[in-house]
Amino acid sequence: MEWQTVSHLETLSKVKVGTSGTIRQFTNDQMASKMLSMGILPGKILKLVRRAPFGGGLYIKVGDNNIAVRDIEAQNILIEIL
Amino acid sequence: MNRTKPFTLALVGNPNAGKSSVFNQLTGLRQKVGNFPGVTVDKKIGISALSDGTEITIIDLPGTYSLYPNSQDERIVLNILSNPSDKDYPDAIIYVADLTNLERHLLLFTQLKDLNIPLILCIGMIDIAAEQNVFIDRETLAESLNVTVISVNGRTGEGIKALKEEVMRLKNLPPPPQYKMFFQPNQIELKTAEQIRLYLPKVENIYQAILWAHHFERLPFLSTFEKVTVKQVVETHKFEDLRLQIVETLQRFDRLQPVLRHIFLKPVNDKISLTDRIDRVVTHAVAGPIIFFAVLFLIFQSIFALATFPQDGIEQLFLSTNDALKATLPQSLFTDLLTDGILAGLSGVLVFIPQIAILFFLISLLEEVGYMARTVYIFDRVMQKVGLNGRSIVSLVSGGACAIPAIMSTRTISNWKERLITILVTPLISCSARLPVYALLVGFVVPNENWYIFNKQGLVFTGLYLLSIVSALAAAFVFKKILKTTESTFLAIELPEYRLPHWRNVGYTVYEKVKSFVLEAGKIIMIVSIVLWFLASFSPIKNIEQTLETEATTIATAKNWTEQEKSDHLAARKLENSYAGYLGKAIEPVIAPLGFDWKIGIALISSFAAREVFVGTMATIYSIGSAGEDDTMGIRAHMKEEKRLDGKPLYSMATALSLLIFYVFALQCMSTLAVVKRETKTWKWPIVQFLFMGAMAYIGSWIVFNLFN
Repeated sequence: MEWQTVSHLETLSKVKVGTSGTIRQFTNDQMASKMLSMGILPGKILKLVRRAPFGGGLYIKVGDNNIAVRDIEAQNILIEIL
Repeated sequence: MNRTKPFTLALVGNPNAGKSSVFNQLTGLRQKVGNFPGVTVDKKIGISALSDGTEITIIDLPGTYSLYPNSQDERIVLNILSNPSDKDYPDAIIYVADLTNLERHLLLFTQLKDLNIPLILCIGMIDIAAEQNVFIDRETLAESLNVTVISVNGRTGEGIKALKEEVMRLKNLPPPPQYKMFFQPNQIELKTAEQIRLYLPKVENIYQAILWAHHFERLPFLSTFEKVTVKQVVETHKFEDLRLQIVETLQRFDRLQPVLRHIFLKPVNDKISLTDRIDRVVTHAVAGPIIFFAVLFLIFQSIFALATFPQDGIEQLFLSTNDALKATLPQSLFTDLLTDGILAGLSGVLVFIPQIAILFFLISLLEEVGYMARTVYIFDRVMQKVGLNGRSIVSLVSGGACAIPAIMSTRTISNWKERLITILVTPLISCSARLPVYALLVGFVVPNENWYIFNKQGLVFTGLYLLSIVSALAAAFVFKKILKTTESTFLAIELPEYRLPHWRNVGYTVYEKVKSFVLEAGKIIMIVSIVLWFLASFSPIKNIEQTLETEATTIATAKNWTEQEKSDHLAARKLENSYAGYLGKAIEPVIAPLGFDWKIGIALISSFAAREVFVGTMATIYSIGSAGEDDTMGIRAHMKEEKRLDGKPLYSMATALSLLIFYVFALQCMSTLAVVKRETKTWKWPIVQFLFMGAMAYIGSWIVFNLFN
């Protein structure tokens, strides 16, 4: 599958805390494979709940699941802001 | 399928699915921990009796989200399940899924289904699901997935009996026919799989062939011929590993969603859950770290405070047993071996049990409750910078009490490189056994007086601890640069809902950790203890005992000594003439640049049993053995009188500081080495650790001695 770049999508690592959006794409296949198996699926609603101190991980909510991802992992998740 | 071995059942499921509760319920205490060949992943095996009297073997496989692994323990699951010739290949699988998260949990289930392994779907967490009003139509689910569905409550054991009955039913069934695959492969996948099966007829089904096509480079059980064959097929058909993984996963979810839509009711919940409210505080950017350090402080205090009583008890018990044996048994070599060698070793093993038990009780409690995943989230970034993992911080802080349980606690770090570095640097953190040594020596460095409002000795203590922390992080950074790994590191960790702990699981963890320490590290500690006893008790010179005895009697008569003074003097002379004494003298040229003489050499060697032995050895060397080890003042007074050949005091500030630095860095603890050997399954890493810490100690001491001398 081709991940097209769509202009109105935002990179998860760059959005503000509290932002919700629909997961649309991944930009790295290896990360995508891992994320998908954890239930981070295109079409699901994702919310950036908070960020860890010292420029650390992101606390996200996908459906009812709470998941922590690294900034570098979040750079590969593209969301369409609600 | 191989029917000669006992019926083997594997427990498979996502992390946090509640697998260990089901495992504990099925096996009770009839479980043991081994390891999978070639890797350091724990393999938990248990035995369960069915109602017809037969016993089956149950293997608890590591938790994983799919058959596309990202870490060493996830890879284990793939390696076993894609290889029907593996000795652990199960006859059937109990798949444990969490009802509150069914969609995601069923992904791996459908993969196993396609491997055509007989399955039972065990739905756990029904207690929590009921609270959240999650409802499922079990019959329809069973029908759509073509599997028996059994709900189990891991807390009460409800449903376990039904689970066992189902296992018994499966056991007596003939091997299953090929089910229709859940996943519908595309043309490339089908052609690749068919060709692989054509060349390698042992591949049992399409999905196994697809897995081989994805993973052939890293499957350890493939022969070179098989690897080359699969590689050729994969290249011919332009089989794209990652893209196909993604397409497959998406398709599985797409097919699961309509199945679940009608049979799985989950109320839309806009209320903020308890977990969310707790996490607002616990993972807060400022409050989070503060809470974490408060929790750690409590753990640390508990280890110190609570372990002291049983530890003192164990030591007292051994002391009185020792005295009793010495009084009743005739004075002989055997008595000495029994008391000073074997009993001393045994005491050295048992004395760690309270610390290990308390630390693991608290850690597994935090793990059960769901707190540990939060600490990983909070500290991941900081720890990453020095090559460690968010979880490493727990081990490092525990190392301040004792490195033994701290190293054992690294098990929770799934990335091997990060875990190894944590193991390697944890003993650099000053542990409680170094305290008596620091206490004895600090008086030679600075007097017990104030500098402004600070106590000078207190400042030196603080400095030593800071030095130990900084050096541990620095060493970790160096190892991060040296060690190579092909394993990519992910954080992507689930932050599970907070829940009350399963006490049964906590109990089993403590029991298992204590048992593995006593049985495995304990053996090595015993051997070293006996060797050390031998070195300190025997002399290379024949009949030295009589010579020394006569000498002591002569001096005692001349100087009008009491019996006690005489026997103290004799003990000191005996130690000087033992193998340990000769070793001390032999290493004197090596340690002289650090300001140490042969007497300190003996103490360094005997400290290897445990660092605090330094104080006792000093007592013996300076002939005040009988005054007891607690008499720090007495030992210090004797040490002050020690002169070098040129008449200057031996324990100058430079020597004492150099010795302190040596104890900060050097790995003088046989128990640590034994545990590292156990945790890394090889002597390579304990040796590397011993050498690099030794080098740091030597260089550090040399610099300090030469700066201040």
